[in-house]
Amino acid sequence: MSTMNAPAASVTSASAPSVPAAPRPDQLTERLGLGIDRVMAESGLWAPQLAARAFGQARGDVTRATQLLRTHRTSLPRLGRSLPVRAGELRVVRRISSAFRNPPGGQVLGRTLDYVGRLLDLLPEEEGRQRAVLASESAHEHHDHHGHEHPGHEHPQHGHEDEVERAPGHVLSVFREMDIVAPPGDHDDPEPYDITRHPARPGVPRSALLQTMARADTGALLYLWYGSEWKPGGQEAHEVPGELRHGFLPIRVEHPHTGRPVTVGDVRVSEVVSFHSLTRASELPRHLDVGYGMCFGHNERKAISMAGADILLGHYEGTERAAGLQHDVLLTLDGLDITGYTEHQKLPHHAEYRSVLERATAAAAHQAGPHRTGPHPGDTA
Amino acid sequence: MTTYPTTEMPSTDTAVRRTDRLAGPAPRPGIFDELSKREIRRAVLSGIAIPGYQVPFGSREMPVARGWGSGGLQVTLSLVGQDTRLKVIDQGEDAGVNASNLRRLVVGHVGCEEETDTREADVIQSRHRIPEQPLQDGQVLVLQVPGAEPLAGIVKNMDEQRRMHAEADYSKMWVRLYEDIVHNGLITNAAGYPVLVEGRYVMTPSPIPRWDVPKLNHSEGVTVLSAGREKRIFAVPPHTLVEPLTFEDRPFEVERTPGAACRLCGSDDTYIVQEPGPDGTFSTWVCSDTDFCRRRRAGDAPEVTALEAALAHTREESTI
Ligand SMILES: [Zn+2]
Repeated sequence: MSTMNAPAASVTSASAPSVPAAPRPDQLTERLGLGIDRVMAESGLWAPQLAARAFGQARGDVTRATQLLRTHRTSLPRLGRSLPVRAGELRVVRRISSAFRNPPGGQVLGRTLDYVGRLLDLLPEEEGRQRAVLASESAHEHHDHHGHEHPGHEHPQHGHEDEVERAPGHVLSVFREMDIVAPPGDHDDPEPYDITRHPARPGVPRSALLQTMARADTGALLYLWYGSEWKPGGQEAHEVPGELRHGFLPIRVEHPHTGRPVTVGDVRVSEVVSFHSLTRASELPRHLDVGYGMCFGHNERKAISMAGADILLGHYEGTERAAGLQHDVLLTLDGLDITGYTEHQKLPHHAEYRSVLERATAAAAHQAGPHRTGPHPGDTA
Repeated sequence: MTTYPTTEMPSTDTAVRRTDRLAGPAPRPGIFDELSKREIRRAVLSGIAIPGYQVPFGSREMPVARGWGSGGLQVTLSLVGQDTRLKVIDQGEDAGVNASNLRRLVVGHVGCEEETDTREADVIQSRHRIPEQPLQDGQVLVLQVPGAEPLAGIVKNMDEQRRMHAEADYSKMWVRLYEDIVHNGLITNAAGYPVLVEGRYVMTPSPIPRWDVPKLNHSEGVTVLSAGREKRIFAVPPHTLVEPLTFEDRPFEVERTPGAACRLCGSDDTYIVQEPGPDGTFSTWVCSDTDFCRRRRAGDAPEVTALEAALAHTREESTI
């Protein structure tokens, strides 16, 4: 027991002779930016420098880094709330639409690992890296680096994010004009549900479901959308990711004296709008269903999964299966919750186990002969 | 030289102090802000006001995994002050892995006093056990809870669970216990045996062995149960009726092994767990409550354990 108690200090201590120096947070941000983005998304907290630290201290374990980041937030008082922003303000560094060959506003491929067949690069690390930079620079048009409008360089992991910055109209609004998507639901949800302060259970407003998915464990969310039994079958069961964006949204707060909105920073998000024509038994598929996904950082898989799962939530709404799907979204996706259960399996259970064994022995004694006095008859209270 | 007026705008220092004031008393940096602690204390008070009722709360992330006592830790941190004597046990042991870690965390954060003697502790955080030493007036027992909902294995739908609690409709729970007897000849619920609190709410006592369940009845101390992952807090105030669910002709049974006793202190009236003997088989027993075992050996433990006292109390009540 006491050996299990020893903290693994030697592993994290930089002074231990056998351990190489830990990489600096900015090095992590540069090389492992997508991992750090995933940590921020699953934490539900935009804090690139702290996330890089957490990622390094967790030795690359996304869930543990998430735990560190969320726990750090617990130690801080909440002093205010930012004002709502429209997703249309998103300044894209990447924007693709698979619904149109040339959507209004154009395709902006941006920085991505997509499109190019990749092999494991066996060149020495530095050389390979230089070549990769050259390749990416020649692949896409980009503007002058120095025209950067973000002072302090808060997001160094995306060195090319300033290549294109614009806010094209959403494909969704084009579809709405064409009257081919389902009209927005009439549920008013003006005061967003705060899942960090109020435990969410089935029946909560959509804002709680979307928040839960935005903070979800990426793999769990992917499975819920892709692999679970919630996905209706049928030959036509295929979503079209109408639009995928990656870019910056402003953070605004109300000025304490003037009351006017003031932009105090920005966050980088991924946003996906998906469409699907799922048929309901009672109606014809006249309108496409719409699903929405948004999370912190560059997390396209997550945003796509979220938009797909959002379509499912809308699809089952009002049916008897709605509570079941909402249950799965709200209670089986949070990375810390679900891995907490896994972690607890590693703790001792012998006090409980003795009780379980006693019952098993007592039941076996009863099977052997109900009137026989078994070796463990228990004690009456 | 030009001098610039400095009085028109509040200095950064002043601004920082003002925002601090918004957040209440100066926080101890590290784990938990004061506003959050207050929120937890409100949930605990609600739980005490409605014994056995599960109070939802905005469970925070703690420096331990959800499953390693994050719920208990939030309650303990909200209750302890610098002069609190804190005891933490896991499976009855002060030196358990989870217990040592949590104690170190709280003591490091709050600067309260470490305690292992149950009699001296103000707050006792525990996983899976209630001490053998009877609790006294003023003591708080904080139990870590992995699964808060006693009806979870009976109905999955959370609305239905809530309805059943609200209407005290526990018929399905009774049917489950009855079926258990029909199939197995006895009630097979082992640890975490369901109890009825003050004749109103069915509650899980957390996975304590049945040995510890009678100690909840009419206890002198307060018991607070907290589930961090499931985000619920519930409580049993002092002098509250806590009855294990069973049938009149099926008396509630605690774990006893005839002839078995602790190899260290010789007790056969404590909860004992198996240990490998000299032959390598699990043939010997030791007390799970290491503080009580140590004091038994030193002649510093009471003759009557918490279980015996609780059983005597229950017998007394049933003869009235
Ligand atoms: Zn002993």
